[in-house]
Amino acid sequence: MKGVKKSFGTVVALDDVNFELNSKEINGLLGGNGAGKTTLMNILYGLYKPDAGEIYLHGERVEIQSPKDAIKHRIGMVHQHFLQIESYTVTENIVLGTPLKNRPTLNLAEQEEKITDLSEKFGLAVNPRALIGELPIGIRQKVEILKAIYRGVKILILDEPTTNLTPQEVDFLFNSLRAMVEEGMSVVFITHKLREALSVCDRISVLRDGRYVFSIHRDEATEEALVRGMVGERLDIDKSLLFSKPESIREIEPTSVEFVEPVCKERVVLNVEGLHVRDEAGGIPIIRDCSFHVCEKEIFGIAGVAGNGQQELVESLIGIRPVAQGRVLINDTNVADVETRKLLEKGVTYIPEDRLNDGFLPTANVAQNLILGYHNQAPYSKRGFLDWKAIFRAAEKLIREYTIMTPSAQEVAANLSGGNIQRVMLARAFSRPSRLLIAHNPTRGLDIQSTDFVYTKLLERKDEGMAILLISEDLDELLRLCDRIATIYRGEIVGVLERSKFDRYEIGRMMSGVKTHERTN
Amino acid sequence: MNERTNTRGLKVTNLVNNFGPYLLAIVASFLASGIFIALMGFNVPKAYATILFTSFRTPNGFVQTLLKFVPLLLQALAFTIPLAAGKFNIGGEGQLIVGAIGATAVGILFSDLPLPLLLLLVLISGILFGCLWAAIPAWLLYQFNINEILTTVMMNFVSFSLIDYVATEIWRDPMAGHPTTIPIGTGGELPLIVSRPPLHSGIILVIAIAIAVYIYTNRTSAGYELVATGSNPRASQVYGINVRRMFLLSLILGGALAGLSGAIEVAGVQHRLIEGLQSNYLLLGIIIGLIAKGNNLTVPFVAFFIAVLEVGASALQRTMMIPGEMVFIVEALILLFVLLSDVVRRR
Repeated sequence: MKGVKKSFGTVVALDDVNFELNSKEINGLLGGNGAGKTTLMNILYGLYKPDAGEIYLHGERVEIQSPKDAIKHRIGMVHQHFLQIESYTVTENIVLGTPLKNRPTLNLAEQEEKITDLSEKFGLAVNPRALIGELPIGIRQKVEILKAIYRGVKILILDEPTTNLTPQEVDFLFNSLRAMVEEGMSVVFITHKLREALSVCDRISVLRDGRYVFSIHRDEATEEALVRGMVGERLDIDKSLLFSKPESIREIEPTSVEFVEPVCKERVVLNVEGLHVRDEAGGIPIIRDCSFHVCEKEIFGIAGVAGNGQQELVESLIGIRPVAQGRVLINDTNVADVETRKLLEKGVTYIPEDRLNDGFLPTANVAQNLILGYHNQAPYSKRGFLDWKAIFRAAEKLIREYTIMTPSAQEVAANLSGGNIQRVMLARAFSRPSRLLIAHNPTRGLDIQSTDFVYTKLLERKDEGMAILLISEDLDELLRLCDRIATIYRGEIVGVLERSKFDRYEIGRMMSGVKTHERTN
Repeated sequence: MNERTNTRGLKVTNLVNNFGPYLLAIVASFLASGIFIALMGFNVPKAYATILFTSFRTPNGFVQTLLKFVPLLLQALAFTIPLAAGKFNIGGEGQLIVGAIGATAVGILFSDLPLPLLLLLVLISGILFGCLWAAIPAWLLYQFNINEILTTVMMNFVSFSLIDYVATEIWRDPMAGHPTTIPIGTGGELPLIVSRPPLHSGIILVIAIAIAVYIYTNRTSAGYELVATGSNPRASQVYGINVRRMFLLSLILGGALAGLSGAIEVAGVQHRLIEGLQSNYLLLGIIIGLIAKGNNLTVPFVAFFIAVLEVGASALQRTMMIPGEMVFIVEALILLFVLLSDVVRRR
């Protein structure tokens, strides 16, 4: 790909980017959020049309107008969000859209055999007759990869494939990728995680702010050079938490880990006892018998693959989803089913995962957004009346402190860019003196600087004595910040580990439902 | 120093940004309707002058305008308050009628009571009946999530039959040719502030209400919750606002104002219940609310302007024999152009 340019409106997503993929290699496309990795690959896959630039395949110039063209040129892509039909079997999903000989009878035995062959060859074990809807994310991703291989692609693009995988699954995926390369395929592996890029890729290409930075062979790559390439000169890496080496994470023999209920030395702020939560209709239990506690001066993490009840758990904790059974104690008072407003008054702060839908007022101005949830508390409100002077004073202070790029506090919030909207939400959460912070994937979608900023703030608040519940799908984030990590699987807490016993693979096992004490027995 | 001039510069551009589109929309709609007036063979400049200046040429014209302004402003607010919470009250008409019925009923039943007492009862009764009429759709929304647009409109139709029943069966005035009730007690009439031409004191009341509504929606925590709910109900709920209660409250508040507009028509203008007293206030109220884009500070000014146009319309019909519907076209075009200017600006 040569000289690729693409802009969306006034935002330049890609500016004169060159990208080269050799045959039989895994090329890691590395960069922070918003660097343009996915956009570049979407162009290769024919989803976007570039404003300028050319694509050459085996030395010949090609025009790729649509994914159909891409598949014709034997290019396949696996997106972060899969497009699969839940009520179809694995085989049906894979053959969907391919020409079939026996259309009327839909006898798929032949196809099934081919899929089984492929999955054995590449170590992508799936049951071709299983229903997609019943499979976990990790397997569904394998199906998505098989879908591409089945169509005979030679170039496979994977967009952040490890996001929802346990460390074990990541290892399996990497093995499969190796097998594919040995069969003569080439792989583009989009990621923002250094460690993964270094462990599996043959070559690493770095993008930053829509520009191509450099491309480097793995043997020549150092962590430092890559980090510098990703962040440019703007970030002081030595002070950065995101790139700090998590020294306290030791690799230990998993069998030596014993299941202990850790106790904390400080006062317990949040105590969840036997919590049960049901789905909207009030039928199916989603959270089952959850118990844990968070202390002052502690960051308590909850790890788990997305969709294992994390959203329901936080919603029940902040009072927007009814508690079916059990107690939620904040400072020893039961707050299960207490109105959200009361919880906020008690000093609970919440950073929702889906910040645009769950925390943002698009038609209100920046100042109004900054007081949401605290609009009836001093100093913003006096005897029911809003004190706009105090609100704007506070807003202007926060805009400076959190470097929110906005013409003024009166600007309509929808006019802000995505990153700045995130900053508004974070400023609101961190600006209040609170005792308990519940943060759900607080760094999702943030660029490197902002992620670092969030980490700093979280640790600062912890040192000030705040109790922090951090629910995250980013295991590295949890390992770096938390004092204790619990793992949630299908709505149950599988185990809790203390910092001294942190082990990536042990948590990975728990993320797929294996209980610690079951293992040791 | 520099900063100060900067903010002033910002204010001027704000002003241009805010009022520019309105001015343009008005000019454009007048130009467009001028074409129709010319095609119909009338004198265009004279028609323009009649529409715009009738209200200001004679004291009578001005009083007529203010009398139109009162119900229009209340109807517009009855629409914009729920709108702030993201809900559409299309039932202002029914709420006006039922409010008028409530006011009349009290005015007739307690016709012997003296002035301030009966008047107070008449107005309060109008407000309560308006609330009641809005509370039915509001409750259906709260309890069963039934679309309020549908139910508020349906409640209008029910009110038509109700007023017919009251004006032809219960308190029918046998002397009147049109369905009308007997008059309410004189103690229930709004006192005049100007006697010739007669202007009732309801005008002071509605201006006070418009100010109160502005303070409520823009200066109080409760009003903030209303606006937040309208902006993003899900986020509002996550941050501790009971949004379903906001929906309920905003619709009932709208009903209260619409009911009051009915009571003022009875106590200030008709002194009895007359079928058809709702005129086309609902439609105009919605148009006013939309032209003002739901901004409660702008609503009174737009309402006054529409009142001017309405008075101009009847003069147009009277003196130039141009159908008054012409003004409807002007009003519709203004709305169209204001909405259009939004689309253009977004590009």
